[in-house]
Amino acid sequence: MPLTIQRSEDGRVVTITITGRFDFDLHQEFRQAFEHAEEEDARYVIDLAQAEYMDSSALGMLLLLRERAGGDRADIAIVNCSPAINKILTISNFHKLFKVA
Amino acid sequence: MAEGNNPHSLPTKLPGGASTRVLIADDDHVNRLILKAILTKEGYTVEVAEDGREAVVKFGSWQPDLVLMDIMMPVLDGYEAARQIKQLAGDRFVPVIFLTALSDEAALARCVAVGGDDFLTKPYSRVILKAKIDALERVRRLHYTLRQQRDELAGHQRRLLQEHQVAEKVLAKIVHSGNLDARQIKYLLSPMAIFNGDMLLAARKPSGGLHVMLGDFTGHGLSAAIGTVPVADIFYGMTDKGFSIGDILATINDKLRVILPTDLFFAAALIELDATHTKLMLWNGGMPDVLIRRGDGRVDTLPSDHLPLGVVESEQLDRGVLVIEIEAGDRILAFSDGVIEARSPEGRMFGLERLVARVTQEAEAEALFDGLLRTLGDFVGGGELGDDLSLIEITCDPGWASAPRAEVPRAFRPRAPMRWSLAIELVPEALRSIDPLPLVMHLLMDLQGLQEHREQLYAVLMELFSNALDHGLLRLDSALKQTPEGFIRYYELRKQRLAGLDHGCIRLEIEHAPEGTGGLLRFTVEDDGAGFDYAEVFAPLQENRSFFGRGIPLLRSICDRLEYSGSGNHVQALYRWGRHGPPDAAG
Repeated sequence: MPLTIQRSEDGRVVTITITGRFDFDLHQEFRQAFEHAEEEDARYVIDLAQAEYMDSSALGMLLLLRERAGGDRADIAIVNCSPAINKILTISNFHKLFKVA
Repeated sequence: MAEGNNPHSLPTKLPGGASTRVLIADDDHVNRLILKAILTKEGYTVEVAEDGREAVVKFGSWQPDLVLMDIMMPVLDGYEAARQIKQLAGDRFVPVIFLTALSDEAALARCVAVGGDDFLTKPYSRVILKAKIDALERVRRLHYTLRQQRDELAGHQRRLLQEHQVAEKVLAKIVHSGNLDARQIKYLLSPMAIFNGDMLLAARKPSGGLHVMLGDFTGHGLSAAIGTVPVADIFYGMTDKGFSIGDILATINDKLRVILPTDLFFAAALIELDATHTKLMLWNGGMPDVLIRRGDGRVDTLPSDHLPLGVVESEQLDRGVLVIEIEAGDRILAFSDGVIEARSPEGRMFGLERLVARVTQEAEAEALFDGLLRTLGDFVGGGELGDDLSLIEITCDPGWASAPRAEVPRAFRPRAPMRWSLAIELVPEALRSIDPLPLVMHLLMDLQGLQEHREQLYAVLMELFSNALDHGLLRLDSALKQTPEGFIRYYELRKQRLAGLDHGCIRLEIEHAPEGTGGLLRFTVEDDGAGFDYAEVFAPLQENRSFFGRGIPLLRSICDRLEYSGSGNHVQALYRWGRHGPPDAAG
């Protein structure tokens, strides 16, 4: 499974785990992961421990999620980034929009 | 027959519509009658031919879906008729079933050799006949569908290619109408780069300086290309009117926020060279590091420190530019990520480290650009570079930029110089809650219309003000900022001390007076702090290369005069704009 979704018991934390390449092929699945989210004020955790690559359309997907999760009020953490992925996030300065760990 | 030479001119019936049309070619009257009776009863539409020649003619005029072909016939035998029919059918699949009493293998093999698809041996079994026809009919319909889809795809592809070619021509006219041909610029940009979302623009400023933008839209194809038009429009239009890169990028951001969907954005590096080619201003949002190769071979790397354009609203957009001293012979290099991510046949990435090393190692500055292209070509193998590799080299050459354009169409000009002054005093409460700089900049622009000087003036105000606040009132030591850990510590301390600040104030005064055809701005900033040893930080710029220790040397290079007095808590900076009168008139 390139993308799995886990919800905490109270439904407040949604964890999206990406495996392999985080690119345009995941677009549909990624959108579905949050499009039907009922909790308006959910926190999101994007776990990239198993992701080996990320392209600019993945950055676009993160922006979509951010908008959906409330824009500036969104609470989204991107965790377990490899150095290569961290570099991509750094060049785009996405640290300013997401919690990157 | 003339029509038959072109298989594409044969109209193709839709499958599944009218009943399957079967042509029977047999010279035996009885055979024809029997077959026709069987097939008509099964619901097929039937036509008959009495020899091979007639079969070929009827094939052309009646266009059956399937042919039943006797072998031994007068005029033209079944083999030859089948061969001609297959030729006429071209890439349409029209099954031919041979009707034969023959049982020798050589004859049957010949049926296949001329293009036959099956045999039926006499006497005919109604069941086998129908089974064979239906089986071949299924194959024919499948073939028809595949061919239809193939043609459709090929048609789409042709149209897409045509549209791309037209679009490329139109877009190239709009997007690449600037000054990339300037003799201080070398660049690489594939004609199809637009469809990768890459764009590279250069335009002379009315004042004689240069604006360059290297950008990259996310996505590919038309969706990536479409945004290039408004971006180019804004870039050229505003450059021509004398706006600075800060204003230009804010306007582009506004536009892209409106036209791009949330998940598309535009990474861009905007570069401004001033008229004297002594200062470089850079705003890098999401592009790979911009490099400056100095005359002595050192290489400075200037990483992206902003979000790409089209991501956040303009109020949130940080339009702060880096201001960097440059000298004649310095070379500024900017790249698309295609350069960094170019891959060797083994799949290794070219990478920034290799790039910086290559730029550093080149002994001959003049050969830098071509050498870099060769290295890249060798790295990816075969010397073939992809569509998504865009790069530019700008050589700092004050001689090139010395002459401002004589008369330029400008909708925007500085206002006639006037005499005015303004003063603002900020106490801790105000310092905590507002950033006075945008406000003051706004007033400056409104009062005197100095958009062209915006970045310089902002840099002056910013440095004067933050020196007064950070070092004057908050007593922070800028030496802290020399290390990354110290840098963080510095800003933590700053936040703490600002929150706890309970006395003191900063006074900012700006006076403007006409001078020649321009004006003289006098900034005075005073704080209640203990001051600092200003002599020490007045070290020459050349000895002070570290990025963050540059505040005061930078101020000195922008301002016509910079004077500290008192205990270092009072500073005055003079900034001249416009053409100055003769020295004696300037006073």
